[in-house]
Amino acid sequence: MTTSTDSTEKLASQGSGATKISESLIATLPGSTYVEEAVFRAEQERIFEQMWFCAIRSSDLDKAGAWRTVQIGRESVLISRTRKGEIRAFYNICRHRGVKLCMEEQGEAARNFQCPYHAWTYDFEGKLIAAPNLTKMPDIDRDTYGLAKVHLREYLGYVWVCLADEPPSFEEDVMGAIEERLGDVHKIDGYDVANLSLGRRIRYDVKANWKLIIENFMECYHCATIHPELTEVLPEFADGLAAQYFVGHGAEFGENIKGFTIDGSEGLDQLPGVAEDQDRRYYAITIKPTVFVNLVPDHVIIHRMFPLATDRTIVECDWLYLPSVVESGKDVSASVELFHRVNQQDFDACERCQPAMGSKIYAKGGVLVPSEHHIGAFHEWVMERVGEFVPESSHGTRTEVR
Amino acid sequence: MTADDMIRVCPLSQLDRGDAMRLDTRPPIALFHTEEGELFAIDDTCTHQDASLTDGYVEGCEVECPLHASKFDLRTGMVDAPPAKLPVRVHAVEIHDGDIYVKESDEVPNLPPGITIDGHA
Repeated sequence: MTTSTDSTEKLASQGSGATKISESLIATLPGSTYVEEAVFRAEQERIFEQMWFCAIRSSDLDKAGAWRTVQIGRESVLISRTRKGEIRAFYNICRHRGVKLCMEEQGEAARNFQCPYHAWTYDFEGKLIAAPNLTKMPDIDRDTYGLAKVHLREYLGYVWVCLADEPPSFEEDVMGAIEERLGDVHKIDGYDVANLSLGRRIRYDVKANWKLIIENFMECYHCATIHPELTEVLPEFADGLAAQYFVGHGAEFGENIKGFTIDGSEGLDQLPGVAEDQDRRYYAITIKPTVFVNLVPDHVIIHRMFPLATDRTIVECDWLYLPSVVESGKDVSASVELFHRVNQQDFDACERCQPAMGSKIYAKGGVLVPSEHHIGAFHEWVMERVGEFVPESSHGTRTEVR
Repeated sequence: MTADDMIRVCPLSQLDRGDAMRLDTRPPIALFHTEEGELFAIDDTCTHQDASLTDGYVEGCEVECPLHASKFDLRTGMVDAPPAKLPVRVHAVEIHDGDIYVKESDEVPNLPPGITIDGHA
């Protein structure tokens, strides 16, 4: 290999349960996993509605009463800021007759959340504060019939919510994913992600299954083919090994590259906490089920996915810079353009895969080459959760017809 | 000395500025201690539809009904903003020896449709 990677670097978990086809090949998931309604339904129930789910950036709620709604699995969640400046999350449902309280994706409530049907009215803590004839019905407890609360954590400047009755450990699932990739959870501290400012946000409506997007993000076998600009900046990507193939490895900028920009030109002001060994490197982290974190010395890019159907996923991508960079109105377009183009290239590829997932030729799936074998661990993780909903007939490897 | 027909509510110290309380009179009375430190008592029930003005929002000398945002002047009881059309009654408030007293108005209250002084018709 002609890369700058240290050969002693630890490899990412490759997974062990994937079907080995030959020395070089292991099987992907069967095609049905990407198209079957029953599988998607199980993923909603057992993955998105059970795990910590990254919903919004905390600064999206800039004042008391500001709110956002997000679709998590089958549920709509309403997230808002209280008068004390704290953030709360609720099921977006009136406790009276089940009306969806907020229909839009964002807004600002002046005083309360009021159901447009019978005017049941909730304060920003979710408490039922008014309703027609409420004082004549003292048996209606204002907390019991307040909005149903959703578990919430703030981390990296984002609001993470969990719809499970008993949420899994945030430290293990979310922070653990960072630990697993970087080798030490504190290696992200220097980027001070929570205190960066939003320089640009782009939303992509991707006509592909969410797992195709994760698989794409995890490997770099495709990089030299579809990401000419990225490979120019990170020449080692040409050998097909993604930063995520290793533990603690950041892909090094090319020799003549000044910054993580579309043309390798100078980037923005460097984040002061970035360590010397993190300088001029790109790190990528997948936080299951729906988050990608990308770290470079002068900015952080965060992808949040919202899987809406077997073949549709909304991806919101945030480019975060030092507050002084955003406030000064510096031109971030060369910086944004690099990963925006990578996103478009990746999502185009995913959209091109999606229609074939239902083909009989792909019924038993495709294959992963060695530089993609670490995706096997993701597949194992998916199958552990929803494997029983994947049709039996599609298990095993495809037999070649001659 | 206070008049016999005054209701002793509570010590003033128990009702902070910005707070309100509902008195279980017939019909109920809403007592407000405004941010500016003034005390006002008006009928608690909005004249448009049965809702408690105690749960409303006070700004200056005005309370906004939490249900449909009718506004009433705390000093006069008059409607400042619809959909309510009829005023609420205003009740006198006095402080004696640190306690709040309210004197219930003897006017006939304007209650919303379907509501009597004892509740639902």
